[in-house]
Amino acid sequence: MKRRRPGPSGVVEAPLNATAQAKAKDEGRPSVADGRLQTYEPGDNVRRFLELLSSRVSRPLAVSLTACVHCGLCAESCHYFLARPDDPTMTPVWKADQIRRIFKRHVDWTGRVAPWWIKAGSPRNDEDLNRLKNVVFGTCSACRRCTYNCPMGVDTGLLVRFTRGLLTELGVVPEGVFNVSRDQWETGNQMAVSEQDYLETLEWMRDDVRTELGDDSVEIPIDKDGCDVLYTINPREIKFDPRSIAQAAKIFHLAGESWTMPKWGWDQTNFGLFSGDDNLGAFVARNVYEAAERLRAKRIVISECGHGYRSTRWEGYTWAGYDQKLPTESVVVTLKRYIEEGRITVDPSKNPDAVTFHDSCNIARSGDLVEEPREVLRRVCSDFREMFPNRRENFCCTGGGGLLSMAEYRPLRLEVGKIKADQLRATGAKLVCTMCHNCIDGLNDLIKHYKLPMRVVQVLELVSNALVLPGKGA
Amino acid sequence: MATIEVDGKTIEVNEEGFLARPEEWTEETAKLLAKAEEGLDELTAEHWAVVTFIRAYYLEKNLAPMVRKMCQATGFPLMKIYDLFPSGPAKGACKVAGLPKPDGCV
Amino acid sequence: MSGFLKILENEVQIAALIFMAIVYILRLAWIFRFRTRRDRTFAAGRESTGAGYSLMNIAMPGAMESTRKRPGFYAQFVIFHLGVAAAIAGTLIIPYAPGLFERRPSVLLFQAVVAAAFVVGIIRLVRRLTNPVLRSVSSPDDYFSLVLLIVWFAAAVLAMPNQPGKGEGPLIVYFGLTAFFLVYVPFSKICHYLYYPFTRYYLGRSLGHRGAFPPSTKRRVAPVHGEERT
Repeated sequence: MKRRRPGPSGVVEAPLNATAQAKAKDEGRPSVADGRLQTYEPGDNVRRFLELLSSRVSRPLAVSLTACVHCGLCAESCHYFLARPDDPTMTPVWKADQIRRIFKRHVDWTGRVAPWWIKAGSPRNDEDLNRLKNVVFGTCSACRRCTYNCPMGVDTGLLVRFTRGLLTELGVVPEGVFNVSRDQWETGNQMAVSEQDYLETLEWMRDDVRTELGDDSVEIPIDKDGCDVLYTINPREIKFDPRSIAQAAKIFHLAGESWTMPKWGWDQTNFGLFSGDDNLGAFVARNVYEAAERLRAKRIVISECGHGYRSTRWEGYTWAGYDQKLPTESVVVTLKRYIEEGRITVDPSKNPDAVTFHDSCNIARSGDLVEEPREVLRRVCSDFREMFPNRRENFCCTGGGGLLSMAEYRPLRLEVGKIKADQLRATGAKLVCTMCHNCIDGLNDLIKHYKLPMRVVQVLELVSNALVLPGKGA
Repeated sequence: MATIEVDGKTIEVNEEGFLARPEEWTEETAKLLAKAEEGLDELTAEHWAVVTFIRAYYLEKNLAPMVRKMCQATGFPLMKIYDLFPSGPAKGACKVAGLPKPDGCV
Repeated sequence: MSGFLKILENEVQIAALIFMAIVYILRLAWIFRFRTRRDRTFAAGRESTGAGYSLMNIAMPGAMESTRKRPGFYAQFVIFHLGVAAAIAGTLIIPYAPGLFERRPSVLLFQAVVAAAFVVGIIRLVRRLTNPVLRSVSSPDDYFSLVLLIVWFAAAVLAMPNQPGKGEGPLIVYFGLTAFFLVYVPFSKICHYLYYPFTRYYLGRSLGHRGAFPPSTKRRVAPVHGEERT
C-alpha cells in the first residue's frame, strides 16, 4: 500500500474498503442477512441515493440547504479550516455544498432547469459517492460549531449527519463505521461485549470497591426492580477501562442511592448518531428506555459520554418515536445534586492539580449542560481554570463524529487538532477534565501527538478522589 | 499505511500506529512498537506477561481480550496495566502485541 | 416624464411585484411540503425564547464568534442591507410620494445610504473574486446577484433626484432593474430573506428546547430533572 499523502486530496480519494462487509455477508452475519445493516453492491447506487435524498429530507434540512448565501463566515469557526487556512475544502460551506449541489439539482427549482447557474450537480458514479463519503465522514466531526456561527442559521452539522445516513443506506461507509454498526445491531452494544463479560466485569468492580471501602454491603445491583436510578454506561468502560464503573458504584453507595444496572439495554452510546442511521439509533435508545420501563426505574442516569448523552437524553426519543416518560440525566447532574444535598461530602484540596474543562460538542452545543460540570468541578478541585474559548464556543477534541473508529482519517484529524492542542497548552493546566469518552481518546491522541504535559480525567474520577469518607473526618 | 523507524529498522503500521500485518508480529516487533508508540525503551517481564497473554488470546479467538481477562490472567490490578502501558490496554498493550486496532471509538 | 417611464414606474412594477408574490407563495408551499418531527423529550428550556433569540441574530453581532471577530464585516452587512431598503423605498417614493424627494436633505440622505451600500458592494465583489474560500463555492448566481445589486445601487443614486426632464436614463435603468430584480429574486439566492425566518426558527426552537438558546452563564431555575414541558 502506498503511503497516503496528508491533505484533503488524500482524504477525499480514500478508497471504499468493503472487505469487512464482504466478510460479513459471507459469514451470514444476522444484521446483514436480515437487512438491518446495508452492504455495498456495485450497481445503480446513484439513482438510489437520489431517491433517498428526495424522500428523506425534512423541512429544517431543506431550508438549511436553500438558505446558504455563500458568505463564508463559517470558515473561521471550523478547526479543520483554521488548521489548514489555505485549503477551502476544509470549510463548512464547501463541505455542505457537496450535498447542497445535489439537492439543488434534483429537489430544488432553479437547479433542475439551469444547474450550472447555481453550481448544482449530481454524483456521476459510485466513485463520486465514495468521495462524498470521505468528505462527510473524514473531514468533519459534526461538532456544529459552524451552525452556531452562521448568520442564516444553516445547520451544517445536521446536514453532514443526514448525508452520512443516505450513504449508510447504500453501504458506502468507512470500514470502522460498518463494523461498529454491525456489532451494535447484533449485540446491543458498540463493542460486542457479551452479557457474561458485562456481568463479570461489574462483579469485579464491585469487589474492588468493597475492598477499597472495607464494606461488604457495596452492591452493583443487576435488574433490580423499582429503583430510583437506572445507570447506563459506555461499553468502553467494560472492555477497556472499568475504573469509572467502580467510581460510580462507590459514589452511589456513599450517597445511599437506590440504583441498578440492566442486564440488557445498558449501552447508552449510540452509533446511529454517527452513521446517520435513525433505525440503529432507535434500536439502541429504545433498549435503554424499555429497560427503565421494565425495571420500573424512576430515572435514567447516563455515564459520562458526549454522543451517548445527546443520543439517549435527546435524539433517541425522537428516533424511536417514544415519548419521554422518565427524567433522563447525565451522571454529572446526579453528582451535582448529591453534593448540593450533602449526600456526599467532598474536599477540593484532594485535587490540587490545575484542572481545565473541555466542553464536549454533543453536550454543550447539542445539549443543555454547560454550567453543571463547572459547578461540580469548583467543589472538587482547588485550581479550576477555563480554557478559551469555552462553553458552547469550545473547539472539538477532533475525536467527534465517530472519527475515532475510522483509522483512515486519523492523520488529518491529528493535523487539525493543532487548534485544540494550542488551546490546551495555553491553560497551563495539568489535567483536562471532560464528560465524554470519545473526548478522552481524542484529547489523549492530541496530548501524545503534540507532546502536551497533561492527563485527561473525567468528572467521576475527580469527584471520587475528592470524597470524604464517612467517619474519616475532613 | 505508514512506516515507523526505530533503531534503524522500519515497520509498517496503519494510520493509528497498529501493525499493518498482524501475522508478521515477532518479539522484536513488539519492542520496536513499544519504543515508538508507547515511549517504552525496555519491556520488563511484567510487560511481557501482558503482551504474551494478549497475543495468545488473539491467535485463539481473533479478538482483543477485555481488560478484565488481562488482569485475571496476569494477576495485575487494573491500575498496573495503565502504569505499564500509558496508552491503556487497547491503544497500548494490544498495539504492542501486534493486534489490529480494536473496533469502535477508542 | 414620458409615457413609457410612467408605465415603467407604476404598472410594470406592480406586475413584477405580483409575479414575485405568486412565486413566493408557491415557494412557501414547497417548503411546507417537507415534514417536521415532533420533539418527544422533556424540555430543558423554552422553545419560544430560543426561537426568538435565534431570529434576533442579525441584530446581535455579539452573539456569534464569527461576527464578534469580524465587526467590519458585520458593519458592511448592515450598510448593504440599509442600502437595499433605501433603494426599494425609492421605487415607491418616486411614483407615489415624490414630494419627499423634492427636499434636498432627504434625497441626499437616501443617496448617501445607497452610495455607501454601493461601496460595500464593490468591496464584497472584490472579496468574492479574490478570496479562495469564496471562489471555491461561488456560483454564477452569486456573482451576478452582487453585480446586479451594485449596478442597481448606482442607478438609484443617480435616479433619486427624480428629474426626468434632465434625462430619463437613470430612472429607466433604476426602475427597469427593479422590475427585473423582482422577477429574478425568487429563483436566486437573493430571496434568502424568505428562508431566514425558517432556518433561524427551527434552529432556535430546537436549541431553545434543549436550553442551549439563549446562552446563559447563570443557569435558570429549571428543574434539574428536566421535567419542565413546553
